[in-house]
Amino acid sequence: MAPGEKIKAKIKKNLPVTGPQAPTIKELMRWYCLNTNTHGCRRIVVSRGRLRRLLWVLFTLTAVALIFWQCALLISSFYTVSVSIKVHFQKLDFPAVTICNINPYKYSAVRDLLADLEQETRTALKNLYGFPENKSRKRREAESWTSAWEGTQPKFLKLVPLLAFSQDETSKARDFLTGRKRKVSGSIIHKASDVMHVHESKEVVGFQLCSNDTSKCAVYTFSSGVNAIQEWYKLHYMNIMAQVPLEKKINMSYSAEELLVTCFFDGMSCDARNFTLFHHPMYGNCYTFNNRENETILSTSMGGSEYGLQVILYINEEEYNPFLVSSTGAKVIVHRQDEYPFIEDIGTEIETAMATSIGMHLTESFKLSEPYSQCTEDGSDVPISNIYNAAYSLQICLHSCFQTKMVEKCGCAQYSQPLPPAANYCNYQQHPNWMYCYYQLHQAFVREELGCQSVCREACSFKEWTLTTSLAQWPSEVSEKWLLPVLTWDQGQQIKKKLNKTDLAKLLIFYKDLNQRSIMESPANSIEMLLSNFGGQLGLWMSCSVVCVIEIIEVFFIDSFSIIARRQWHKAKEWWARRHAPPGPQGRDNLGLDIDDDLPTFTSALRLPPAPGTEVPGTPPPRYNTLRLERAFSDQLTDTQMPAES
Amino acid sequence: MHIKKYLLKCLHRLQKGPGYTYKELLVWYCNNTNTHGPKRIICEGPKKKAMWFLITLLFTSLVCWEWGVFIKTYLSWEVSVSLSIGFKTMDFPAGPICNASPFQYSKVKHLLKDLDELMEAVLERILAPEQSYGNTSKALNSTIWNYTPLVLIDEQNPHHPVVLDLFGDNHNGSAPGRTCTAQACKVAMRLCSLNGTVCTFRNFTSATRAVTEWYLLQATNIFSQVPNQELVEMGYPAERLILACLFGPEPCSYRNFTSIFHPDYGNCYIFNWGMTEKALPSANPGAEFGLKLILDIGQDDYVPFLTSTAGARLMLHEQRSYPFIKDEGIYAMSGTETSIGVLVDKLERKGEPYSQCTMNGSDVPVRNLYSDYNTTYSIQACIRSCFQDHMIRNCSCGHYLYPLPRGQRYCNNREFPGWAYCYSHLRMSVAQRETCINMCKESCNDTQYKMTISMADWPSEASEDWIFHVLSQERDQSTNITLSRKGIVKLNIYFQEFNYRTIEESAANNIVWLLSNLGGQFGFWMGGSVLCLIEFGEILIDFVWITIIKLVAFAKSLRQRRAQACYAGPPPTVAELVEAHTNFSFEPDVAGPGPDPGTYPDEQTLPIPGTPPPNYDSLRLQPLDIIESDSEGDAV
Repeated sequence: MAPGEKIKAKIKKNLPVTGPQAPTIKELMRWYCLNTNTHGCRRIVVSRGRLRRLLWVLFTLTAVALIFWQCALLISSFYTVSVSIKVHFQKLDFPAVTICNINPYKYSAVRDLLADLEQETRTALKNLYGFPENKSRKRREAESWTSAWEGTQPKFLKLVPLLAFSQDETSKARDFLTGRKRKVSGSIIHKASDVMHVHESKEVVGFQLCSNDTSKCAVYTFSSGVNAIQEWYKLHYMNIMAQVPLEKKINMSYSAEELLVTCFFDGMSCDARNFTLFHHPMYGNCYTFNNRENETILSTSMGGSEYGLQVILYINEEEYNPFLVSSTGAKVIVHRQDEYPFIEDIGTEIETAMATSIGMHLTESFKLSEPYSQCTEDGSDVPISNIYNAAYSLQICLHSCFQTKMVEKCGCAQYSQPLPPAANYCNYQQHPNWMYCYYQLHQAFVREELGCQSVCREACSFKEWTLTTSLAQWPSEVSEKWLLPVLTWDQGQQIKKKLNKTDLAKLLIFYKDLNQRSIMESPANSIEMLLSNFGGQLGLWMSCSVVCVIEIIEVFFIDSFSIIARRQWHKAKEWWARRHAPPGPQGRDNLGLDIDDDLPTFTSALRLPPAPGTEVPGTPPPRYNTLRLERAFSDQLTDTQMPAES
Repeated sequence: MHIKKYLLKCLHRLQKGPGYTYKELLVWYCNNTNTHGPKRIICEGPKKKAMWFLITLLFTSLVCWEWGVFIKTYLSWEVSVSLSIGFKTMDFPAGPICNASPFQYSKVKHLLKDLDELMEAVLERILAPEQSYGNTSKALNSTIWNYTPLVLIDEQNPHHPVVLDLFGDNHNGSAPGRTCTAQACKVAMRLCSLNGTVCTFRNFTSATRAVTEWYLLQATNIFSQVPNQELVEMGYPAERLILACLFGPEPCSYRNFTSIFHPDYGNCYIFNWGMTEKALPSANPGAEFGLKLILDIGQDDYVPFLTSTAGARLMLHEQRSYPFIKDEGIYAMSGTETSIGVLVDKLERKGEPYSQCTMNGSDVPVRNLYSDYNTTYSIQACIRSCFQDHMIRNCSCGHYLYPLPRGQRYCNNREFPGWAYCYSHLRMSVAQRETCINMCKESCNDTQYKMTISMADWPSEASEDWIFHVLSQERDQSTNITLSRKGIVKLNIYFQEFNYRTIEESAANNIVWLLSNLGGQFGFWMGGSVLCLIEFGEILIDFVWITIIKLVAFAKSLRQRRAQACYAGPPPTVAELVEAHTNFSFEPDVAGPGPDPGTYPDEQTLPIPGTPPPNYDSLRLQPLDIIESDSEGDAV
């Protein structure tokens, strides 16, 4: 025999009970405690004295509890992120820059469409505030319109009447059209009163929107007439413009050649061809520089204003719509190429007769999506269909959601957002009560009752350009003299007038430096980390490992069950045997169990004293060794000794 | 002989070891190791043995794999960032103040006289060609013109563009250029190489831009020939520019500003640069504790064609760094009060091997030309130095806007006639920029000053009179008002309530992290530790020794057999061997795990023909292992 086998034999001899062969659960436990690799258990068995043993039991249990607690903490904090901020100096892609004139359409072109509305607005202003008609702005042919209009019925004011309320009697209102007081039914909604409480004693102005089908009315009031008139005007304006086809609208707005006087990018001349048209419902023709549609994305390899975009814009204030827009200038927005420019929400305004220099810093952010956070990679898992022809963003989702709800509830789409498939823009002719519906829906949207805010999720990655805007006087006093004629020459046939300082705005957009900051989230834990932390915990408290876990499963489940099963089996067998055993007193040899003819203990069985036979009236338990359970060596030893003693 | 002794020593050594055969060694190891799996392999039944063997093997490979993962993660040198925001007493940022116009027109007029006349003529030609022919009698400096003339390109026929010199010598009346409008014609600049053989046209879509660029090029040429001292004198002096200064509660004056000459903006005055004296700290947030300045930009004295934007130019930067005002500067408008709230956004990075940044620029292969100013390294400085290097290499002269290395000269038309062509070629070259970007490394510490800018009209109409009066009196000692709303600028620069945001990098995975994870993995799967590894190493050494001993024994047995072959007597028969007595009273395994082999190690070496060795098993030496196993099987 090889020495290895010898050692094995010795080990086997030394082991008091091999696991599964242990006769009782207690012995199995004892065997486990003595032989397991985890610390603690052994001390329970080995220690002398009850107190010490108890202490060790407590320690072991505490350690187990701690392990469970710590591991639970580790698991619960598994989906956390760590943030890293990286700065990289590199060639940067220049963002898309969308430039819009604040005024959407040339007033001379849209005047025909808006003539009635303008007239009614003026009348309302006159009735309410005593604003002298056609005095401040000398509009051509305005007088003739006024006279022509005198006889006709005012349709806009009739549709949505402008009302003045005196604060104390909210149910009474003065109609501008007739001038007489009338009773107002329906709920009165004070605009902005939800957010802040305005306490003033003067008259409030508002307008009433009624639903034709249900004759329900809602009155919207404003603290200032300026807001009321503008909102009222905008409502009608959208109504009218919704019926105008897109081509006509584009023609009514500014052309790129008209808006852009000069353009210069990274030391190279550029012109209207480098800009792509983008028609915005509220801002008319906007022009996007460096849109991917033209060619490849332009990039900057130097920081500073010289290497950025320099544009001189022509803004003709005479063509401004007096009621729709009250500020002059242009709006610019810096965005990603595939992003939709929400110019009305996040644009930067540019003043005329000024050079606006906008320095940019690029910050990129990447978030981790499920299960780390609720963000979405491309919006495909958001149950709102994207009606914009652009990459997903939270704003797109919110607007799409509102527009979809609008089409659902009111049957038509709101003018300032793109059309969903198979829908039309709202107008009086087809949808007489859309305004009421729209305002109700908008209120609900603002109060988050439509569920858009909860459905829409933020995008996981976004680029952000931090802008530092500063202004300077442009052109300077001394350069004005030569600059304006040259610019007029440049503009050439586009305009037939000599340019003035206030018709122009200079815009510089550039990267301040080429440092790109990326804020990135990365998983703080990986599965390896988790396991090694588990290992650390297990090892620290009990010096346990997966092997120990397998051991525990083996001993506590498989072996103990097999012991219990064996016991039960034997009990059942005994019971069965007792039940079916013949009542005769004489014992019988179980011949089937005679495996070995000359068992060494047979003689000892024969030597049994006859006395116990008389004590037991029934069948005495068979004392054959063959019926005995297989026992470990040590037990066998004592077993064989027992009969010798007796 | 030495080898023999050594081998003997090894044998002695092994006596205390676990055993003589591989199997014995393995069993011993499995029984005694502290790693959890192996013990179960030996003390279970055959099925479980196989299972445990597989489990142990699996876990070992798992541990190895995950160790690999961790070591790889460690070697990727990741960083974790910590962000801190708050207010603390910090050095007030250095703030250079410049005027948008580099020179006072009244002082540079004599230099620019010819150029301005030419420019006026050009403008006349472009705007109203018919009239301008009448008064071309004015003698124009044709030498300036001829270096880089402006041309009109008639693109009505796109395949055959007609190039017309603005001052073409063909005064034959029928020049089609006269009828040119902006839509039909484009103004372009003709740039020719040194010997005039290769010419390119730099096209512009707008005449405004074309004439501005052309003027700038010509002016650069003129100013580059003027010594630096004269240029400084022609710029705005500090006492004219800075009228009032207040830093916190303490008054300051233009003397507290350090002057540098900036090629774009002339004289710039830097407050709190920290070059000669200690930087001033600011301990409180708010405008009251910041810098308040009143400037006069003197808009009337601007060079008309050089700049069209009027205002003061300023920026904020770190102490001892060079201000790149053109890149990072902002404008402050005249007639307004500009308030700038400052937040210092600092990024501190770890250098190699965590990121590719440089601590002080010493490891960048570009000579920093801005080091003459005694300033610290920055990537802008590096890129500009790199450009100037390229410029000198390609055009053999330096560009006026960048500092000059020693022994080089600025470009001008007289000495380097082809420089404009060369420069514009270089400036448009993408390859040049990319090489520069690749050569330059970013600096590890990056400080940005985030500004919140707000503006208001200043002075108010009510206070205008007395403010102008007082300031004029102070500056010019005259009772006349020499200032106006067109020129006056008020600036407030102060720290915001939170004045710093520091992003600091630290190593995400240090050696402690690595060790704890390695330990965690080993512990988790196998309950092992470093000591277990040492154990394993020990076993490996034992293995090697056993192998060596076996080889030696094998060699010896070969020799012995050869010796036996010449031995006269017949070889021992099987019967002889079986007859060997077994000493039953001898129990070798009580004390140690293996039999006592080396009691007579010398016996092994040579068979003595005289007295035969005792046949007892216990005395048998190792090489007779094969026979021994048989007999021992009988014995037990």
